[in-house]
Amino acid sequence: MDRVVLRNLKIQMIKFIKLKNLFLFSVFLFSFFSPIAQAAELKLASPVLKIEVGRQFQVDLLLNAKEESINALEGKIVFPEKLLKLKKIQDGNSIVNFWIKKPQEDLTGNIIFSGITPGGVMVENGLIFSMIFEPAVSGAAVLEISQASVLLNDGQGSAASLDILPLNIVISEVISSEKPIGIEVSDTLPPESFRPEIAKDPNIFNGKYFLAFATQDKGSGMARYEVRELRQKFFSLFAGWQEASSPHLLADQELKSYIFIKAVDLNGNEKIEIIPPKHPLLWYENYLFYVIIISGLTAYILWKILRRKKNSLY
Amino acid sequence: MIICFSLIVIFLIVIFSFLVRNILADNSAVVITVKILVCGDEVREGWEQCDNGDLGGQSCVSLGYGAGELDCTPACEFDTSACPPGPSCGDASCNGSESCGSCPADCGACPPSGGGGGGGGGSGYVAPVTSVIFSGRAYPRSTVTLLKDAQVAATTIAGANANFQMTLSGLTAGSYIFSLYSEDYKGIRSSLLSFPTNVAAGATTYVSGIFIAPTISVDKSEVKQGDNVVIFGQSVSSGEITISVHSDEEFFGNVKTDANGVYLYNFNTSPLEVGQHFTKARAASSGEISSFSKAVSFAVGEKNVTAENEKTAVKGELNNDGRVNLIDFSIMAYWYKRPSPPAKVDLNGDGQVDLIDLSIMAYNWTG
Repeated sequence: MDRVVLRNLKIQMIKFIKLKNLFLFSVFLFSFFSPIAQAAELKLASPVLKIEVGRQFQVDLLLNAKEESINALEGKIVFPEKLLKLKKIQDGNSIVNFWIKKPQEDLTGNIIFSGITPGGVMVENGLIFSMIFEPAVSGAAVLEISQASVLLNDGQGSAASLDILPLNIVISEVISSEKPIGIEVSDTLPPESFRPEIAKDPNIFNGKYFLAFATQDKGSGMARYEVRELRQKFFSLFAGWQEASSPHLLADQELKSYIFIKAVDLNGNEKIEIIPPKHPLLWYENYLFYVIIISGLTAYILWKILRRKKNSLY
Repeated sequence: MIICFSLIVIFLIVIFSFLVRNILADNSAVVITVKILVCGDEVREGWEQCDNGDLGGQSCVSLGYGAGELDCTPACEFDTSACPPGPSCGDASCNGSESCGSCPADCGACPPSGGGGGGGGGSGYVAPVTSVIFSGRAYPRSTVTLLKDAQVAATTIAGANANFQMTLSGLTAGSYIFSLYSEDYKGIRSSLLSFPTNVAAGATTYVSGIFIAPTISVDKSEVKQGDNVVIFGQSVSSGEITISVHSDEEFFGNVKTDANGVYLYNFNTSPLEVGQHFTKARAASSGEISSFSKAVSFAVGEKNVTAENEKTAVKGELNNDGRVNLIDFSIMAYWYKRPSPPAKVDLNGDGQVDLIDLSIMAYNWTG
């Protein structure tokens, strides 16, 4: 009796296993043939996978989104600080038009970034930014992308399904003095022309006037912006610059100043845009007027003195 | 028995999967082609007659001129200024192989002794300009705006046939994101059509085949179940508009635009369930298909409610200047991940300003 029960139980088990396998196979087939949208892909790429200590190399963060339009992304690049020293971050030719958080090293030694591309972009190997590393000691370095989010250009901010590809670099002990790999250094052109704007809104800076600006550099990438406000344009040669980021609260809320905005790229090339004052100074407020009068009077007095001396000689 | 049944189920699943895939591919997968040609890259392509040294095997003689040196203009068209006219006896010009002996009508009677020849002319060097030329179709007599890296770079007015062309010059070589949009006769904007483009130094890049998506609006924000909702907008004249209404099941309708590119489609809401629905449109004309328009929403309920003016309800337009641009971005970037943001800045109403809010703003961008 027991043997019969056991036999039946065994048959049932075999049937169950077969059914389970068939079910899994069905799920596999369904998944394979279902109309799943292609995922976006964030990947780290480098021209080399083996590098020597001391030899700088470039790593690019790339976006692949051939089937979907992407308009916002953020994330973090994690790299082994003991093995790699971050030398530079370049955003020249980036597909990101506006950075919310420009790629930079945070306190934990990771690189954080977030930005948008208005209108979205469908792109293959679209460059987000590049990093220049210098290997410090030998070992196997793994560069990873974490906390990444890529959003669709659908008006809802829906998250795209995302594949992430890390990068493995082998660092050898040989100390190298050879030239860096994959790093473009020649950039003699200034950043792109841009049109800074003055605005005010009750939602920011308590309704005070602020300055909004942004541009790109097609070579090495943007380094920083500097601003100066001057009511007396004549003295601009002597005035200093103040490093700034957009939005920038204006010091002169009466808008009587010339506003100079300087964009500087990573190679030190500069582009300066000037916004004339919305409410220019009255003539008697402008020091240039007095400089001209005093210069004119001085010249006249000198001429008079010289003429008198000349007459006295004869 | 169970195995046979399971195999039949698998077979049905595979067939169903293929059908679903094909149906969705037919209805939603549209390949939008924007053709990018580079004039100045030494490669003759597309409509280019030539490209620098690449003359496509042509010569002065093959073009019907006399023997000479065929050149290429910076606009990638043949420069025949150095090609003498083709030989033709009786054309009042002594050229080619004509001589006083073979063609006295053109060359005159042969003199007793021979004479000398003449000299040739020269042409000045034209410095290469880095530029991009955009061409395509919008709406008849509509304003077309071109954005370079999300900031307004140029605007133009499309012709009566909806065709437009605009040139951007003085650019630095590099990668750009160019975007275009148009405004219809009611001032309603199309979705942004964006594409990354590599601009080569000293060359003219041609971006052709641009087809801006139709505008779309609905006459009711809520429609009584069974009543019609009017879906309307503008595209090219005599274009074929495909309207998609999204719900659990997707419904499609087709309508033609009139001579002004205007279309109007009455959609009966009987098959729709009570709740929120979305509709979008795309255009087809002369074998080309536009991308889909923005999706606009309407609710199916128990009463009819007239839709508000779409122009006044753009998400991301924070400072009330009618545009979504760098200023709005600056305001939102200021509040990014700060506590207690203003309700107007928190576009999805989740109590924080994060990447989702910025994505919604980027979708509605006007520059």
